[in-house]
Amino acid sequence: MPAPSLVLDGVSAGYQGTQVLKRLSLEVAAGTLVTIIGPNGHGKTTLLRCVSGLVRATAGTIRFGEVTLSRLSPDRVVAAGVIHIPQGDLLFPDMSVRDNLLMGAYLPAAFAVSRQKLAEVYRLLPTLAERQHQVASTLSGGERRMLAIGRGLMAEGRILLIDEPSLGLAPIVIDQIYEAIGGLRRTGHTILLVEENASRVFDLADKVYLLDNGQMVWQGDPQELASRPELLATYLGG
Amino acid sequence: MDTLIQVIVSGLTLGAMYALSTIGLSLVWGSLNMLNMAQGALLAIGGYAAYAATVTLGLPVVLALPAAMLVGFLVGLAIYFAIVRFMLNDPGFETNVIIATVGLAIVLENVVLKLFGAYPFTQPFQLPDGLRIGAVYVPYQNLLIMAVSLALMAATAWLIARTRMGRAIRATAQNRDGALLMGVPVRRVFAQVLALGGVLAAVSGVMLSSITTLAPTMGYDPMLKAFIICVIAGLGNTLGALVAAFALGIIEAGVQFLFGVRFGFPALLLLVIVALILRPEGVFSRRRTVRQ
Repeated sequence: MPAPSLVLDGVSAGYQGTQVLKRLSLEVAAGTLVTIIGPNGHGKTTLLRCVSGLVRATAGTIRFGEVTLSRLSPDRVVAAGVIHIPQGDLLFPDMSVRDNLLMGAYLPAAFAVSRQKLAEVYRLLPTLAERQHQVASTLSGGERRMLAIGRGLMAEGRILLIDEPSLGLAPIVIDQIYEAIGGLRRTGHTILLVEENASRVFDLADKVYLLDNGQMVWQGDPQELASRPELLATYLGG
Repeated sequence: MDTLIQVIVSGLTLGAMYALSTIGLSLVWGSLNMLNMAQGALLAIGGYAAYAATVTLGLPVVLALPAAMLVGFLVGLAIYFAIVRFMLNDPGFETNVIIATVGLAIVLENVVLKLFGAYPFTQPFQLPDGLRIGAVYVPYQNLLIMAVSLALMAATAWLIARTRMGRAIRATAQNRDGALLMGVPVRRVFAQVLALGGVLAAVSGVMLSSITTLAPTMGYDPMLKAFIICVIAGLGNTLGALVAAFALGIIEAGVQFLFGVRFGFPALLLLVIVALILRPEGVFSRRRTVRQ
């Protein structure tokens, strides 16, 4: 079954009375990689948390195909096929790498094919195979990010929401992680990627949204964005 | 030598009873950050449920334990659905739920008082006779308590380590948002943990009342001891709680034998004070290695 599109229409959300997202709309078509870039603290992470149900939308609708996600609890959003790989990883620190990956296949449909998915994840991210019996809390930052991505892949999701995969990592590790994301892109995964480092996504994305102060201020082709340095300078400082 | 055997048998019996109750308390704390002050009332309800099933309803004695487990399960679920689920998202949940469960304990204790009166009963879930090891007489009831407790602890350990439900409980305890993002229905996990805690407390209550008597307030003393064990082991550390329960059971039995029964509980209090000074995170708490 082909993955449906993710559509946000006029979504607002925030925390304890502070509005972070302001009537924001976007679309992620099936089989594409869409990137949201923007300065720190302007709502990129909140947007993903809103889609996955960790933050409740106060206005607007979030639809994934025929399913309206806006009113679903996070576990039901996962059951709908929307997998969030969060910033900060949210790993299970006392579980081994393998058990963390198996938690990614918690839902029955994913668990039924977990052995096969585990082999796929180990092939895509060989570091995880080497570390499979190691406790998650002892992994390095880059390994933790890879584990978070691997765990997301275990879920048999129909769309991946990936939050700042390069945050705080060494350039060589970022290269490895983007190589893995590129692999996912080539195999037809639908991905919504949040990234602060715009240069990382120019070669990868089908479409870029620029988020500033909780609103989409620009959207278009990544090459077009690359050719407009004034936009990058205004919103991303370079 | 006979004295040592006597102390060890008594200590293991006490430890087995404490362990069941403590594991329930520890699981609830580890998963929900919830100090369940109704734990003592759950023990009493378990004891009275076994009594009611066999004496009031006339069921065979072998059904006393399943009856207590069923009632403990239902009361645990009721605690979630009637109290906890309304408070979970409040910023002051940890404090509010202590007050709420103290109130619940008072209500449950008075319900038991109203239904059965204040007169202490004998628990019918008893095995007569015993065996002799040298000069030491070991009642079969003590062996039954150890066997039932060990079986239930093994079942709990299997459930937590090997099953999908257990993985969900461990994941929720380690990272609630992380578990939600894996599709774990965290609220259902909380209900399951409270129901499991209720079952363990109810069985502990049956065991305890089988060597003492049934009384509405019978759960307070073991609840305090369960708290002591949890603090010494490290709150939420279930395996540590198990080891600490047996160790403290033996220490309590030893102190009671050497210095008198009235010194058993003060000795445990002294231990918890020493533990809090030397290792406030708990004697058995893991020193987690985290790479930065």
